[in-house]
Amino acid sequence: MRKPLLVCLALAAVVALVATAAQAGTHKAKVTNVTLAGWSSGPDEDQLLNQVIAKFNATHPTIHATFSVINGDYATAMTARFAAHNPPDVFYVDSSVAPGWAAQGVLEPLNSYIKKSKYDTSKFYPRLLNAFTIGGKVYGFPKDWSPLAMEISNAAIAKVGGKAPKNWAQLQALAQKMAAENAVPNGKPICLSADWARLLPFVFQNGGSLSNIQSAAVKQAVNFYVGLIQKGLAQTPDKLGAGWCGEALGKQSAGIIFEGNWLLPYMSSTYPQVKYGIYPMVKQKTGGNLGFTVSYSLAKDSKNKQAAWTLLSWLTSKQGQTLWISKGLALPSRSDVKAIGGRQAFLSAAPYVHGWGFPNFSTAYSIMNNDLSAVITGSKSVDQMLADAANAMKG
Amino acid sequence: MAAVTEAARAPRSSMLGVKLREAGWGYAFVLVPMAVFGLFFIYPFAYMLYISFHHWGILGNQGSAGWSNYHDVLSDPIFHTALKNIFEYTVGVVPLEMALGLSLALVVNSKIRGRNFFRSAFYFPSIASSVAITTIALYIFNANGLFNRIFGFHTPWFTTASTDTWAIVGLNAWTTSGTIMLWYLAALQAIPTDVYEAAALDNTGAWRTFWRITFPLLRPAHFFVLVVFGVGALKLFDQSYIASGGSGGPNYSLYNPVIYIYRRAFAGGAGDFGHAAAAGVVYFLIILALTIVQRLTVGRQEAQ
Repeated sequence: MRKPLLVCLALAAVVALVATAAQAGTHKAKVTNVTLAGWSSGPDEDQLLNQVIAKFNATHPTIHATFSVINGDYATAMTARFAAHNPPDVFYVDSSVAPGWAAQGVLEPLNSYIKKSKYDTSKFYPRLLNAFTIGGKVYGFPKDWSPLAMEISNAAIAKVGGKAPKNWAQLQALAQKMAAENAVPNGKPICLSADWARLLPFVFQNGGSLSNIQSAAVKQAVNFYVGLIQKGLAQTPDKLGAGWCGEALGKQSAGIIFEGNWLLPYMSSTYPQVKYGIYPMVKQKTGGNLGFTVSYSLAKDSKNKQAAWTLLSWLTSKQGQTLWISKGLALPSRSDVKAIGGRQAFLSAAPYVHGWGFPNFSTAYSIMNNDLSAVITGSKSVDQMLADAANAMKG
Repeated sequence: MAAVTEAARAPRSSMLGVKLREAGWGYAFVLVPMAVFGLFFIYPFAYMLYISFHHWGILGNQGSAGWSNYHDVLSDPIFHTALKNIFEYTVGVVPLEMALGLSLALVVNSKIRGRNFFRSAFYFPSIASSVAITTIALYIFNANGLFNRIFGFHTPWFTTASTDTWAIVGLNAWTTSGTIMLWYLAALQAIPTDVYEAAALDNTGAWRTFWRITFPLLRPAHFFVLVVFGVGALKLFDQSYIASGGSGGPNYSLYNPVIYIYRRAFAGGAGDFGHAAAAGVVYFLIILALTIVQRLTVGRQEAQ
């Protein structure tokens, strides 16, 4: 009774062996597979990146790159992949998590590759490259970037006959005018998130800094930001029936918002009928803005580092980036690649940009945002929040 | 004499053999589930204990930590807030879902028309995905959502610090009530009809019958539901995660121990597994202590 089963098993084993051998035979063409992972804002971005990769594959016959999208909680998914020692070869790293991941030892330093292949890094904007340079080691090349700008609904500003504000006083005056004349009937003049990623530009504009976060300059900036909400001139997006301020602009429940280049493709695909202008961020004592940037980095546990480097350095090269920037989904991180038109308000922020991120990021960011939402509702004092933030960034 | 002992011994030893063999089969049958239990529960738990005493990053062990992870977690005000929040939630949700589940069970146990339809309809929220339900609830209860339009409010119920816990209490009481209804329905149908007949002979009213007969006879079901759904409530994660976008906010109002563990281990690529494991062990001990207290109080009464 048992013999036929054994024979079957043996046959199956032989078939499997032959199949593996045959497959190994086809691999003799010596194509190295390289995996690339990142998140995606939508089908447009997927399609564009796949076009860029198709171009890479066509010009590099010995390497085959494939892109896989990790949507949702990207950092969480990547943490699991690192822990399993099975990360993608090349992947996106946000500037805010780069120091943490570099310290954890999951990113490969690129210095030796740069040296060996004589890669010219001088074309990257230094402030962006610095976000991925930690202790003299380069852990990735910025693939693109965006600062914040001020976006104002054409309908709202036309109704009050105002012009784009240049400083805090003008911003407040415009919002008061919009409120008085009910220029945004379904919401508030301004949308402000309970998020330090939107508050910080105001802190920098007032001459404040993260390293001296309990200073009077920081406190004043927080009071201005929160004050706009408490005076009824601004509101957080959830109170405006939106998930974020871009959606509030689209739904016409806010007239003025502060968002980055990512707003543009979102508005044209989701709210194409809403017209708005893009203006440089307001200034106060000085210009102040945040630079959000993402790198292509190499995994320390990658098994094909040389091929992965070839992909990484091509994607961030002039040729690769020119393709990537061509549809205006992002701004170039290289000075030798030109952004597509209509991006002047973003590009003019370059001199005032501070890299997005701070020490002990994940924990501190959560504490600072929770505290900020408490300050907005009045259940925590500004001093207490700034003390918590200083403490949290110490780790 | 010898023959008698011989005769008596023979069956006894063969009985022993039968018993042994039966036990052997018994162990053989439990071997597979026990192996699964060991591999997926005991081993990870022991490993978590080990991790909790180490500085443990994304790539593994970075050296012994002694009790420092435990010290950090126990002295972290956010962990205290998380515990306070989850106890508030549990005390709110468990009685509500039990009351709702029992009411539904009474409805579908009565002889009404379309009973089977109601049984499926009431059970439906329990089988729908909690992620989908929460996402839709967020739409319905947002600032300009359906709920506010009908009732004339402007509060985003799931993202306002003072209301979000209660919004989730309401949502989860509704989604779990179907499952609780099933347990109560089974228990209701196990109550012998003669006690009701006796009550009817005594002319007992429906209200009195329920409180004097049905409710006390459901005591095993009460205990079961209380333990299972009490522990279930303490493991709240999805709804808080989705409503707060993973931040536990605004103002820590949706922070709970599982969110705390998640944030320490994974959120933003944190990779602080030592602290996360210590928080996991502490929370396990708290739930264990609560369950023991529950058994000693409610459980003992039930046994009597």
